Amino acid sequence: MADQPNLGGRKTGAFIRAPQDFYGGLALVALAVFTLWAGSDLSGMHGFSFGPGTAPRLFAWLLISFGIGVTVMGVIFDGPRLERWSARGVIMTTASILVFATTIRPLGLIISTFAAFMVSASATSETRWVETIIAGAAMSAGCAILFPYILNLPFQLWPQF
Amino acid sequence: MIDLLSNLALGFSVAATPQNLMLCLIGCVVGTLVGVLPGVGSLATIAMLLPITFGLPPVGALIMLAGIYYGAQYGGSTTSILVNIPGEATSVVTTLDGYQMARQGRAGPALAIAAIGSFFAGCVATVLIAALGAPLTALALLFGPAEYFSLMTLGLIFAVVLAKGSVVKALGMVLFGLMLSMVGSDLETGVARMTFDVPELADGIGFVNVAMGVFGFAEIMRNVGSGQGSREIVAEKVTGLMPTVADLKVAAPAIGRGTIIGSVLGILPGGGAIIASFAGYTVEKRVSKHPERFGRGAIEGVAAPESANNAAAQTSFIPLLTLGIPPNAVMALMVGAMTIQGIVPGPQVMTKQPDLFWGMIASMWLGNAMLVVINLPMIGIWVRLLRVPYRLLFPCIIVFCCIGLYSINNSPFDLGIASGFAIFGYWLMKHDFEPAPMLLGMILGPLMEENLRRAMLIARGDPTVFLIRPISAGLLLIAVALLVLAVLPNIRKKRDEVFVE
Repeated sequence: MADQPNLGGRKTGAFIRAPQDFYGGLALVALAVFTLWAGSDLSGMHGFSFGPGTAPRLFAWLLISFGIGVTVMGVIFDGPRLERWSARGVIMTTASILVFATTIRPLGLIISTFAAFMVSASATSETRWVETIIAGAAMSAGCAILFPYILNLPFQLWPQF
Repeated sequence: MIDLLSNLALGFSVAATPQNLMLCLIGCVVGTLVGVLPGVGSLATIAMLLPITFGLPPVGALIMLAGIYYGAQYGGSTTSILVNIPGEATSVVTTLDGYQMARQGRAGPALAIAAIGSFFAGCVATVLIAALGAPLTALALLFGPAEYFSLMTLGLIFAVVLAKGSVVKALGMVLFGLMLSMVGSDLETGVARMTFDVPELADGIGFVNVAMGVFGFAEIMRNVGSGQGSREIVAEKVTGLMPTVADLKVAAPAIGRGTIIGSVLGILPGGGAIIASFAGYTVEKRVSKHPERFGRGAIEGVAAPESANNAAAQTSFIPLLTLGIPPNAVMALMVGAMTIQGIVPGPQVMTKQPDLFWGMIASMWLGNAMLVVINLPMIGIWVRLLRVPYRLLFPCIIVFCCIGLYSINNSPFDLGIASGFAIFGYWLMKHDFEPAPMLLGMILGPLMEENLRRAMLIARGDPTVFLIRPISAGLLLIAVALLVLAVLPNIRKKRDEVFVE
């Protein structure tokens, strides 16, 4: 036991030996249980024929068993530890999509493209703002020509009053 | 044989009209552009351009969309070779030897061999689609619901076995994908399932939203998080394009093997271009007499995967056109494009609309020829494009993807779904789950459920029907064998690890 490979300084005697698998499996089980609950109002078999709820329940129970399998693997085998999330990238990327989604109808293509561009640019610390503002303006101008005029898609360009 | 020739002649007469040639060219150029730009996938582009094809005639629309798909496979290699970043997921392995060749000043031959390999693979795949179209269509007519269900099960198992990492985790992903596909109205009874009375969910969760979330946006989240900002273009000026005779001699067998592997993996549901390129590279390294050269600029390491991904991109049309089963996400989008044009994908396409079927096939050959001609001289433009730093590129990609997603249904709700799945996709990466099997499960879900229900109804509730019917039993047997083959070495390896302690 003395010459074991160093697994990131973790004690090999710990109960959870592959945290990625352990929590990943638990999450799968949770998703499957959620499905069972969400589909609990659906009727099952009618004699020989499947009801709307049969297949979802069938697959949910299978997923529960596989989820437990993954969790158990996380207890039996050693694996890598959990990785850190880059909160800034995740939050700002999500925010930029949502900014686009909420502004495209009321404010039009030009403003919402520019806003989404700016928000997404703040996802990384490498962004240089002057350069980004110029690029964002060029991008919205390009989109304003490309989508409604060249590709003929029905986009409203400016806010409606 | 004479049938084949007359069919191909019909195809070329359709594909060679000025309008269709133009659409094919546009598709190829757009596809290459998308392939060159890292982060913009062919899926996103096809999704974005889907609405503009509504106004085109059916043949033209499909010719253009197909061009984007195989054009992207081709363009991806340029970025892999010059910048060491895969332009497209299918050219990940090309970076290994392609970039090394470029560093040794041999970017020209690397690019040229990728082009030649892709062209050769494209030609073979075109002939293969033409040759296999008729027999597979005949086979499809023998298929009942039980056989369809078993075939799709086999496809999903393929996706599981070929995914990297744990088999159990990949199976879990498939099942989750199947469950996602069941959200929305039930096909037979019309009952709303798991919609929580949200009207936007009545039609189900659009798989494009999920695909963009877990592949497109999640990938960006990871890249900006890991500070993958700087890129280095090795070859400022690509000179000496032509490979030497010695290069060609080494690369020719690799191209041949890559084409075969790619064609086979493309036909199988669950396979596809990404897996084909990996398999092509691995096989090449195995059979090589000097495996130590790989990773240090071996020309076979560029030739094999690039031929394989192009072959697979094209042969993946076979299950779609003959059986009506989309083998990957891009093909599922093609189903959407065909449905909008009033075409139901499946065996009847070939008999009822031969001009469409053969026209599309002929256009693939023409498109591959165009790619070789337009690309080598355009490399200068691509190099300039690649100088745009990632910090400016990724906001553009996000905005383009947003516009593309929004334009499909003009629905902001779709973007909300996509952002949710972006976070989920990032979580999947952090827990080492593969998203590809999930997406395939989601794509095949409705077809699988429908056929499962029908088969069970016909068999009067007897599940042994899948084992009694010979074709169905054979397909399931292959699936089980594959699973066992995939799991066995894993168990043995893990057990060894346990015993080491």
